[in-house]
Amino acid sequence: MSDLAIELFGVSKRFGPKVAVSGVSFSVPRGSVYGLIGPNGAGKTTTFSMMCGYLYPSEGTLKIMDVDPTTPGALKGRLGALPQDAVLPPGWEVGALLTYWARLSALANPEREAREALDKVGLMEAWKVQTQALSHGMAKRAAMAQALMGSPPLVLLDEPTAGLDPRIAAQVRQVIRDMKGRQTVVVSSHNLQELEELCDAAAILDKGTLAQAGTMSELTGQGAEFRVQIAKGQVIIPELTAMPHVTDARMESDTVLRVSFSGGVAPEQVISHVVRHLLQHDVLILGVSRGQRLEDRVLQML
Amino acid sequence: MVIWSAELRRAVRSGRAVVLLGLYSMFSALVLLVVGWLTAQVRNVVLQQLADADADTMANATARINEEMRKGVLGIFTSNDSALVEALAQVPLEVLIVFKITLFFLPAYIALMGFDQISGEVGPRSIRYLTVRARRSSVLLGKFLTQASLLLGLVLIIDLAIFVYARIANPDFGFAAMGLNLLKFWLAAIVYSLAYVALTTLCSCLFRVPAVSLVFNFILMFVFWLLATIGQAPGNADSSLRFLRYVSPSHYAGDLLHPGLAQFGTSGAAYAAFAFVFLMAAYGILRARDL
Repeated sequence: MSDLAIELFGVSKRFGPKVAVSGVSFSVPRGSVYGLIGPNGAGKTTTFSMMCGYLYPSEGTLKIMDVDPTTPGALKGRLGALPQDAVLPPGWEVGALLTYWARLSALANPEREAREALDKVGLMEAWKVQTQALSHGMAKRAAMAQALMGSPPLVLLDEPTAGLDPRIAAQVRQVIRDMKGRQTVVVSSHNLQELEELCDAAAILDKGTLAQAGTMSELTGQGAEFRVQIAKGQVIIPELTAMPHVTDARMESDTVLRVSFSGGVAPEQVISHVVRHLLQHDVLILGVSRGQRLEDRVLQML
Repeated sequence: MVIWSAELRRAVRSGRAVVLLGLYSMFSALVLLVVGWLTAQVRNVVLQQLADADADTMANATARINEEMRKGVLGIFTSNDSALVEALAQVPLEVLIVFKITLFFLPAYIALMGFDQISGEVGPRSIRYLTVRARRSSVLLGKFLTQASLLLGLVLIIDLAIFVYARIANPDFGFAAMGLNLLKFWLAAIVYSLAYVALTTLCSCLFRVPAVSLVFNFILMFVFWLLATIGQAPGNADSSLRFLRYVSPSHYAGDLLHPGLAQFGTSGAAYAAFAFVFLMAAYGILRARDL
C-alpha cells in the first residue's frame, strides 16, 4: 500500500476544443487534509471529478487509493465524495435515501450509518423530509452526510461550506478537523482562510494548470520569510542582507520590511537576529508576522 | 439488486406509476368500448337483414357470420397459420383486437414510463452519488429491471381487466380458458415489451436531457415501424427491401401467441436478442461517457 492516497501524473481534460485541465501532477499523502485552490474556471471541479471517476482524463493517469478511478467499482468503500453541483434525487425522504446509499456501499448497519452521518452535519431533523423540500444549505449538508457514511479512507469535498450559515460552516469545519489523521480529506474551496486553517498542504490551480503545490508552510512561505511592520526609524537594507542566512531583504511598502532566509534554518533564530539588529539601530517595531496569508499568496501568484 | 429494489419502491410510491396505469387503462378501455360497439353494430346490421328468415336459417346464418368474422380477424393476427388459429379459437374477438392495438401502442407507454431513467440522473448529476458506490453496469441493470418490473405489473393489471371484461361479455368463455389465455397473453406482452424497455434504456443513456431522450425514442420507434412496413409491403416481396422487416422488433410479434414451442421460442429469442443488443449498447455508452 502506497503512502499516497492520491497521485496525478500529467492529467489533462479537454471538453471539445476547450482545455479544462492541462498536465496537472501532484500527490496527496494519506491522512492529510489537502486543499484544492484556484479561481473560478481554474479546473478544480474538473480535477475533483476525475479523482472521483466521474470524468475520464483525456491524458495522463490517476491513482486514487492505489486504484484507477475509472475501473468499474474500484472506489466502492474507499471513497466518500461531495460533488459540487449534483442534485439530490427527488422523491426520497432524506433518511431513506441515505440508508439506500449506505446499503449500496455495503455498510454493515445502513440505517445507523445514515443516522450518525446526518447527526454529524446537524441535520437529524430532516430524516423524514423529502429531498426536494430541502433548502440549499440543508441539501448541501445531506450531501455532505452521504460522503461521511462508513468513514471511508478518502473523502473528497467540493465546496463543502459554500452556502452554509456561519454556525453550520463551523460545524462542518470541525467534522473535517476530526477526520485529520484518520482519513485523507481533499477540500476544494474558494474560502482561502478556511483552507489555510484546515489544510496541511494544497495545490493551487490556475487556468487548468498547476501553479504550485506544497505544504501550507511552503505555500505561505512560513519557513522562508517574515515581515516586520516598522513604526519609525531607518532600515539599512545592506546590513540586513549581510546577516547570516538572510537571502533577501526589501521594503515592500513604507512601513513593511520583508526578509527572506535560506531553508533549513530555524525561523526563530533569523527573526530574533534581525529584530535585535533593527532595535539596535533605533527602529521601532509594531509587529512581526511569518510568511504570508494564503489569500495574499494566491492573489500574488494568480 | 439494491438499486432495483430501492428504485422500484420509489417508482411504485411515486404518482407517475399510478398516472401511467390510469392512462394505459383509459386507452385500453376506450379501445375495448369502440371494438365492442363496432362488433355489436356489425352483428345487428346482419341480423336485421336476416329478420325475415325463419328461426333455423337465422341461427345458422348468425353462427356462420360469427365464424366468418372470427376467421377474418384471426387471419389478420395469424397470417392464416392453422395452429395459431386453433390456439386462439377460444379467445373472444374483443380480446384479440384490443390486445393487438394495445401491443402496438405499448412501446409508446414504455418510452413515457422510462425515458428519464438514466438521463434524468445524468443531467442533474445525481448519478454521481451512485457511481462512487456501484458499477455503472449495476446502475444500468438496476434501472432496466425497475422499468421491466413496473411493466410486468402494469401489463398484468390491464390484461386482467380485459379478460375479466371478456369473461363477463362472453359467458361461454370459461374460467380455465380465461386463466390460461391470460397467462399466455401476459407472457407474450412481456417478452415483446422487454426489447422496448431496453430500447428506452438505450435512448435514456444517449442524452443528458430527458426530453431529448423521449423524442429520440419516438423517432427510433417510428424508424422501426417504417422498416417493418417497407419490409412487409406486398410490392417489395421480391426486392431486397423485404429483409428490412427483420431489423424491426415488431416483425417478430406474430408468433408470440403461437402454441408451437419452436415458433414461440424463435420469436422470444428475437426479442431477447434485441433486448441484449440495446442493453449492451446502453452499457457501452454509459461506460464511456463522462457523468
